[in-house]
Amino acid sequence: MKEIKDKMIAQINAAFPEAVNKAYDGNRLDFTVHKDAIPGFLSHMKDQLGFRHLSHIAYVDWIEENEFELVYLLWSPTDKVKLFVHTRIDRENPVMHNIDMIWRQANTYQREIKEMLGIDFPDMVAPDEFILEDWDDIPPFRRDFDTLEYVNRTFWHRPGREDAQDVRETISKRSGEEIPDFAKKYSR
Amino acid sequence: MSFFDLQGTLKPLTALKQFGKKPHTLKDIPWKKREASDNYRGLHFNDIDECIGCGNCSTICQNAAIDMIHLEGVEGKKGDSGLRPRVDNGRCCWCALCVEVCPTGSLSLTKDYIYVTEDPDAFLWTPGISNPDGEERKSYVSTHELSLNHFNRIPMPELEGKERIKSFAEVVLGYNEEQAREEASRCISCGICTEVCPDHMHIPEYINAIAAGDDKEAVKIIYDNNPLPEMCGKVCTRRCEDVCAIATRGDSVAIRWLKRYATETAATADITHEIVNPEIREANGKTVGIIGAGPSGLTAAYYLALRGYDVTIYEASAKAGGATMYGIPKYRLPIESLEKQIGYIQSIGVKIKFNTKVGKDISFKEIYDKYDSVFMGVGFPDAWPLGVDGDDAEGSMQAFRYLYMINSGEKVDIGDKVVVVGGGNVAIDAARVSRRFGAEVTILYRRRVEDMPADWEEIEGAEDEGIHIIPQGIPTKIHKDEKGHVKAIEYLKAEMVADDKGGRPRPVAIEGSETVLEATAVMAAIGQMGDYSFLPKEFEEKITIERGRFVVNEKQQTGDPKVFAGGDAVNRTADAISAIADGFRACKAIDEYLSGK
Repeated sequence: MKEIKDKMIAQINAAFPEAVNKAYDGNRLDFTVHKDAIPGFLSHMKDQLGFRHLSHIAYVDWIEENEFELVYLLWSPTDKVKLFVHTRIDRENPVMHNIDMIWRQANTYQREIKEMLGIDFPDMVAPDEFILEDWDDIPPFRRDFDTLEYVNRTFWHRPGREDAQDVRETISKRSGEEIPDFAKKYSR
Repeated sequence: MSFFDLQGTLKPLTALKQFGKKPHTLKDIPWKKREASDNYRGLHFNDIDECIGCGNCSTICQNAAIDMIHLEGVEGKKGDSGLRPRVDNGRCCWCALCVEVCPTGSLSLTKDYIYVTEDPDAFLWTPGISNPDGEERKSYVSTHELSLNHFNRIPMPELEGKERIKSFAEVVLGYNEEQAREEASRCISCGICTEVCPDHMHIPEYINAIAAGDDKEAVKIIYDNNPLPEMCGKVCTRRCEDVCAIATRGDSVAIRWLKRYATETAATADITHEIVNPEIREANGKTVGIIGAGPSGLTAAYYLALRGYDVTIYEASAKAGGATMYGIPKYRLPIESLEKQIGYIQSIGVKIKFNTKVGKDISFKEIYDKYDSVFMGVGFPDAWPLGVDGDDAEGSMQAFRYLYMINSGEKVDIGDKVVVVGGGNVAIDAARVSRRFGAEVTILYRRRVEDMPADWEEIEGAEDEGIHIIPQGIPTKIHKDEKGHVKAIEYLKAEMVADDKGGRPRPVAIEGSETVLEATAVMAAIGQMGDYSFLPKEFEEKITIERGRFVVNEKQQTGDPKVFAGGDAVNRTADAISAIADGFRACKAIDEYLSGK
């Protein structure tokens, strides 16, 4: 396995000198490339290095760094090697290249990413809505989306739940603790 | 596609090529009942006895599906809020975050996904009560690997045992900022700890402030009801940590060390003043006299002064702090730390008259007549003698007295072989101090090591420093040399006998097991007692003493409505935080009494 991986790394480095490799054990290969290089990089992987299958496109919201990350998970059935291809996208201008002409199933993954994270794929042909109907809030998988607030605003509370208690309040009442107002913002 | 699409008609027939091959599907269907997968996320189950009602499941639920409710037969107690979760299954999306954040591991999801009822509104589900048999059907359970709680405490940096015994340098080095933030973020903010804290400090709030990087706010919150928090941050008995929700399956959050971290960010009394920025009410013309500048007296004084009272403390010793100044060795609580805190208390207007012993330098009656109200925080200044033959030998002393003298800067001749009798913190303190003066030290304790009332870290620390512990030994005699000096201590070995009344096992001496241990000094650390000789006879009727302690009501008030009391001379727990709680309660009661509210 090590020889196969080393050979692949050498081939990828030769073809894409800018791609950054990160070492992993087992049958995992890991590269980070610029987002504009993604279509060329992926089709090269598919056509030249045997990564015929796209397993999934994973996504991460790095809100603190003001970036999104996409991870293309590729699989080579002949060499039994998996390849993770990372790329970062500006959170302020979330636009990414479409790759569904390389793998048809990418169309489905990209529709999900567009709806859940709000990354646009301008040259992708697909219906506007994927799972969410008439969604008018920020994409719900963004980390600044407050799910609980949305839920409380959208759904009514079932009758019979009025007896719910606050744990902190129950305990402080029982012990006679007086929590000062200025401290309450740190209460759960 | 036309109706006569030949390909479409014939293609399905290719499936016939599988004929006769071993099927991939389950064979026994429909005879065998189908089982969900091993980590299936179905209906909730909760082990009601294991659950402590911390409410973390309810807080994490992004669908607001979980309520904490009172259940019949589940009573709140120390370490248990008495509430239990109830799920609205109409909202649950089976994400199982509630299971992943459950600190006790009582909450799980089962393999059950079918629930049939005639009531279309029956969505409210109390796990464990609605499905008592769910225990056997558990599938998605909170293991240590799966749990999102951090069960391991950030280790506290300490001096090494060999380094420690060279000096009185502080053993515990304290968290740095990064360590403190990380440790603070382990807290789940349930607040169960606050109930067992005698002073009911606002623990989740100040820990959250530390986690959020807001140390100054943390200090402010801490000072809301504790004016000696750095002392507590170093030496508190921290019963809070015993009931920490995280401690059910891991190390409790280091509540004491976090308090220490926050208060140490205020390096001087002036900085403390600046951070706490106390609101001091205008003087109301009323006066309060306080006897004893220990934790209870200082606490009552601080909060009364904030409320506009003119407060004067009478202290017999040269320094304030009481047992925390004179009873605790400096390697646990450095003098600068305590003086900083006392300096801050003085800075808001509390007056302390040092070297003024009530009953000798000033009479109780004079204080009683001079002030509108009196608080007594007189502590337990005396220690029990060993009470065995030869107890009067030179070199036989009380550990508490020994610590007092050392902390006052006096020199005490202990020789090179010290035996300390007892198993509490005072015993360990005296032993570790003696070790620092180069003596070989043995602790003799009647029961087993695990029965010792001292903090386990103290016991471990003592062992690290090379102190020998002899458990199950009952001292019977002190041997003297011809000059009347301690030569050895004789003890009987004991066996532990189960107590018929259900108490802890008792040590019973084994006859004929006399053992003699060479010694140059013997220190008794078997308890302290009060000295109430300052109280004139005329007050005896109203200010009563029972079993060595003042009798007070729930407001710390004695039989004389003008006189309040707190600290070791009142409560049975005999620790600093209980004294602080007494002082805080007394302050509120005195305020009520004097303002007529």
